[in-house]
Amino acid sequence: MHPLAVPLVAYQILAAILFTIGVVGVLVRRSALIIFMSIELMLNAVNLSLVAFSRLHGSMDGHIFVFFVMAVAAAEVAIGLAILVAIFRKKETANVDDVHLLKG
Amino acid sequence: MALELILFSFFALIAILCALGVVFHRNPVHCALLLVGVLLSLSGLFILLNAQFIAALQVIVYAGAIMVLFLFVLMLLNFRGESSVLSPGAAKGFGFLFSLLVMVELLWTALSPNGGEGGGMPPVAALPADFGSPAAIGRILYTTWLYPFEITSILLLVAVIGAVVLAKRKFA
Repeated sequence: MHPLAVPLVAYQILAAILFTIGVVGVLVRRSALIIFMSIELMLNAVNLSLVAFSRLHGSMDGHIFVFFVMAVAAAEVAIGLAILVAIFRKKETANVDDVHLLKG
Repeated sequence: MALELILFSFFALIAILCALGVVFHRNPVHCALLLVGVLLSLSGLFILLNAQFIAALQVIVYAGAIMVLFLFVLMLLNFRGESSVLSPGAAKGFGFLFSLLVMVELLWTALSPNGGEGGGMPPVAALPADFGSPAAIGRILYTTWLYPFEITSILLLVAVIGAVVLAKRKFA
C-alpha cells in the first residue's frame, strides 16, 4: 500500500499531547468555564485520533463517531453552561472550590 | 508530499501552542479565542486526513455554534479576574503529576511497536474515491447508523429543554 507523507502515529502523538493538556486544564484550573473548555479540548483530541484511524482503515465509521461526539459535546456544553449560569446567579462565583453545597 | 508534512507541522504547532494558552491564560475571553485557534487548526488536520465533511462540521458546529455559546456566557456573567489561576498547593502538584502519568501512558500506547493484540498497525488502506465526502457520510449515516442518528436528535431536544429550564430566572 502507499505510505502517507505524515505517518499516522504522528497524529496519535499529537492527539495524546492535546488530550494531556486538556487533563491539565481540568485538574489545575479553578474556573468552571475553563474546565469546560479543557473538556472540549480533550473531546477534540479524541476526534483527531478517531479521524486518523478512520483514514488508516479506509472506513468512514470513525467519521460517524466524530459526528456523534460533536452532537454530545453540543448537548453537554448547553446543559453545562446553563448549570454554570444558575450557580453564578446563586453564588456569584464560577470557582469550583467555592461550590460545596452538599458539604456538611 | 513534503507540503503535507509542512502543513501537518504548522497545524500541530498552532494547536499545541493555542491549547497551552487555553489552559494557562489568565483572561477567560482570551482562553475562548485560543480554543477557536485549536479547533480551526484541527479542522485543517482533518482535511489532511481526507475528512472534508468532518472539517466543515468542525468549523460550523464547534468554532461557530459552541464557541459562540461560550463567549455568550462569558459576557453574560461578567467574570471577575481570578486572583490565582491555578488550584492551591497539593491539588496543583497532584494534578500535574497525574497529567504526566496520562501523557506517558498515551504516548507509550501510541509508540509501542506491537500495541494491541493484532500486532501493530495494519497497512494504510487505499481510499474509495468519495471518502469523507458529505454524500458518502450521509449514505451510511442514514442506513447503518440511522437509529443512533435519530436518538441523537432526541438527545439534542432534551438538552435544549434542560438548558431553558436550568437557566430560567425563577429556578435560580
